[in-house]
Amino acid sequence: MAVPVSQAWTVATYVLKQKLTGRKRYPLVLMLEPLFRCNLACAGCGKIQYPAHILKQDLSPEECFRAVEECGVPMVSIPGGEPLLHPQMPEIVAGLVARKKYVYMCTNALLLKEKLHLFKPSKYLSFSVHVDGQREHHDFSVCREGGYDIAMEGVRAAVAAGFRVTTNTTLFDGADPNSVRAHFDELMAAGVESMMVSPGYTYDKAPDQNHFLGKAKSRRMFRAILSNRKKSWQFNTHPLFSEFLMGKQNFECTPWGMPTFSIFGWQKPCYLLQDGYADTFKELMETTEWENYGAKSGNPRCANCMVHSGHEASAVDYAFSSLKGFLITAKKFVLPSTYEDADAMKLLNEWKPEHSGPLVQIQASSNATDDQLQTVSGD
Amino acid sequence: MATEQQEHLKIEQLRHHSADELEHIEGREKENLEGWIPALATDAEIREALEKAFDYRGDITITRKDGSKVEGYLFDRRSGASLNDSFVRVIPSAAREKVNIAYTDIAALAFTGRDTAAGKTFEAWVKKYWEKKAAGEKNIQIEPEKLD
Repeated sequence: MAVPVSQAWTVATYVLKQKLTGRKRYPLVLMLEPLFRCNLACAGCGKIQYPAHILKQDLSPEECFRAVEECGVPMVSIPGGEPLLHPQMPEIVAGLVARKKYVYMCTNALLLKEKLHLFKPSKYLSFSVHVDGQREHHDFSVCREGGYDIAMEGVRAAVAAGFRVTTNTTLFDGADPNSVRAHFDELMAAGVESMMVSPGYTYDKAPDQNHFLGKAKSRRMFRAILSNRKKSWQFNTHPLFSEFLMGKQNFECTPWGMPTFSIFGWQKPCYLLQDGYADTFKELMETTEWENYGAKSGNPRCANCMVHSGHEASAVDYAFSSLKGFLITAKKFVLPSTYEDADAMKLLNEWKPEHSGPLVQIQASSNATDDQLQTVSGD
Repeated sequence: MATEQQEHLKIEQLRHHSADELEHIEGREKENLEGWIPALATDAEIREALEKAFDYRGDITITRKDGSKVEGYLFDRRSGASLNDSFVRVIPSAAREKVNIAYTDIAALAFTGRDTAAGKTFEAWVKKYWEKKAAGEKNIQIEPEKLD
């Protein structure tokens, strides 16, 4: 796990403190959504479909700081929408850095290069750039030709300016493990500090309802991708979460581990599901019926979820819940494994890409009617 | 909480297979609610209609029993044991405040705003892409809708 020692220390002491005080449910990362509007309309995204008067709203810096202080987390992730569209984003980031919070500002990087001068490099700030695969896969995923090139230009500019830059890759049904591995090579060559990869979630408002990964395929795909990994690859996910994706660990969801705050308030129960809102963090923790969520609950909306926001906190909690968990985790940090696996290599070599070529791949599966055609967004 | 009807493809799939065995998971069938004016004759109808309004990604219009109207985005609902202790929370289209309206104060509900999640099927985008490509266009994309 490639994060600065100071960050690892801050998180470890924070979690230990929670454990020592007997706090059963504690947040690890605040998912701060200061706006919903975006400059992309990705097929797999269920976050940005709102009326214009909602999309125009922003959380103020004060509202953001209050939320962070209310829940007391050591790390803040700022997704959206596209945070760089928020006119006060530099002020929000500077305020969080001043509070010594480790900030991951998630961005599609379309505006990163031109807005870079508004931010200051800091060990507390990382631009977490969403790049969903190699050029053609990313452009396909974000429904924009040329999106990859602009994003990577932003990555390189940020790296050159001395910023911490990490990446986040979300995979859907049809992803090609060989291409994802080549994508990792490209990202590391571009100078990113570390990478994160996660399966997409079945957002019920996403335009594409046909490319959601089931768990069996997710595990097989991640085993092919993450086994036999190159030593040059640096990941910023917990090693046990990586093993969870590969089917080597089984974690239940920890929905309170990464709570979400937006213009609506504190989202129940998690970043992915919207079952209502609480006005305070305390109310969120006390009134959410947590037993109704996670795969074990039988909730169909949680059935195939393997997303980091629900499960990485489980890996962290496991590491601090027993001596065995701590020793296993410590070993994985000190002696990181390349996960050599001959069967996984065979799987990788025999993987048949479902699609190939820049956006050409989807022609065969297209069966849109003229009625559907007339209602495509933005056309 | 999503209704069984909304989640029925997934529920059907999970009836026959364990989630751990699935290669692909079903999405959700979209309901066409735009323009719908539900009957609110019974408690069950009121609850179901407001549940669908909570799920709806467009503005709704609520007419209170005193005749006043609130048009806006229904972002939350608190469903209590009875209608007396249940209420919806709306952000009006012309203000940023959050307005609470008790279920018992609601005389009528209408799905008046455009469903912002409807009609943007991936298949439709692919077909449009190919049409644009054939016409020689470059840098083809789905653009977010204009907000003004």
